[in-house]
Amino acid sequence: MNITCQDRDRIFQHGTPEDWTGLELHAESCAKCSEELLAWKNLSVAAGEMGEEGDSPLLWARIETALREQTASGTRPDWLWQRLENWASHSVGWQAALAGTIVLALAIWGGYSHWGRVDRTDRNVALLKSPALRDVENSEHAYEQAIEHLAAEAKPQLENAESPLAASYREKLMVLDGAIDELRMQAGQNPSNAHLRRQLLAMYQEKQQTLQDVLEIKR
Amino acid sequence: MGCGGLTLPWGTRISTVEGGGDSRVASSEGQGQQGPGGAGNPDDVAIAALCLAGDLEGYERLYRWQGTRMKNLARHLLGTQSDAEDAVQETFLKVQRNMASFRGQSSFVTWTFRILVNTCHDLRRSRVRRKEHAHGESDALPPSLEPRAAVAHPALRLALERAMVRLTRHQRDVFLLYEVEGFRHSEIAGMLEITEAASKNTLFQAKKNLRSMLEPPTSKAREAGR
Repeated sequence: MNITCQDRDRIFQHGTPEDWTGLELHAESCAKCSEELLAWKNLSVAAGEMGEEGDSPLLWARIETALREQTASGTRPDWLWQRLENWASHSVGWQAALAGTIVLALAIWGGYSHWGRVDRTDRNVALLKSPALRDVENSEHAYEQAIEHLAAEAKPQLENAESPLAASYREKLMVLDGAIDELRMQAGQNPSNAHLRRQLLAMYQEKQQTLQDVLEIKR
Repeated sequence: MGCGGLTLPWGTRISTVEGGGDSRVASSEGQGQQGPGGAGNPDDVAIAALCLAGDLEGYERLYRWQGTRMKNLARHLLGTQSDAEDAVQETFLKVQRNMASFRGQSSFVTWTFRILVNTCHDLRRSRVRRKEHAHGESDALPPSLEPRAAVAHPALRLALERAMVRLTRHQRDVFLLYEVEGFRHSEIAGMLEITEAASKNTLFQAKKNLRSMLEPPTSKAREAGR
């Protein structure tokens, strides 16, 4: 194989073992490639040394105790809350927005439960029936599209800004998108679960509010 | 970007461990060998089954098998041993809480490391925010690492640790997972939810940036003169 200096970066990036052999041969007669190859390898060797780590004899005991305590207290399905916990250290404004969303979600849930008790004798109050489900899905779809339009409007503002605030907004939106994706996946598996739908609505509302905040900065 | 004091003694010939250094340099992907991350490893399946059944022995076996590596990665992402231990503990708790959602689409170890990486980033973010609140200023850079035990090439490693702080988060993650922890690109892709090609490209960019940061000044001057 005829390897030249121009092949070097390609081989560093995704070369085959044969490419590497060819590069080694070429480096024997090329000082620049020889230097680069040595530097490239030294990086790997130095990185390999970073892998040596001292023991922490008490760590497993600590973890085991924590696992037992968690088992005893009952594991909670908190994949959503784990993410939201990270916002505990956010600014008061964001915490207020999050609290508002939770209050809103609770209000919707309360209203729905009350309405369900009054108007339904059906014991499966939490399950949406298919015509209602269609309505919900249609509304959700329209709402989602509206938020996507908002997201498109806010995109340049988010991408171009380098401030810590913009970075925080970007991260928050990533967390919200992740939560929305997971909720949608769960709702897809269990489409009649009204509780999931309400959580999804709360996440969409939070995303909408966040995007509006981003656009506010622009103004 | 300043790189004072980061010059790496490139001329130093380092004897590589037999097949070790080179195997991480030359591509060894897709050759059917078992990945260090547990892909195709019967232990991985057995441990996942134990954890799914709620048996603490599964978690203990996972810790014995991957605990050191988890601590090591967390330490490089967070900077201190104590933060790293907190992150590993939190990861085990999250694994236990979320076992029901493990679908086996990746290996159990890959899934666990994905949780670990996210936990470390969450911890770091919250720590940075606490700092911002306390001092009213931003500190987006990861902390410098605590002093470590002596190794064969201390200057080289120290320079590398300092330079790594200047990589992007994504580049640092991929570099640490591939070069330090020895995961394959296919495993890293699963952990970071990217493609294998993206993992390879990111590693290349990371190493190129490190190379540039650590390049001796004379080489830089020579390059500029051309």
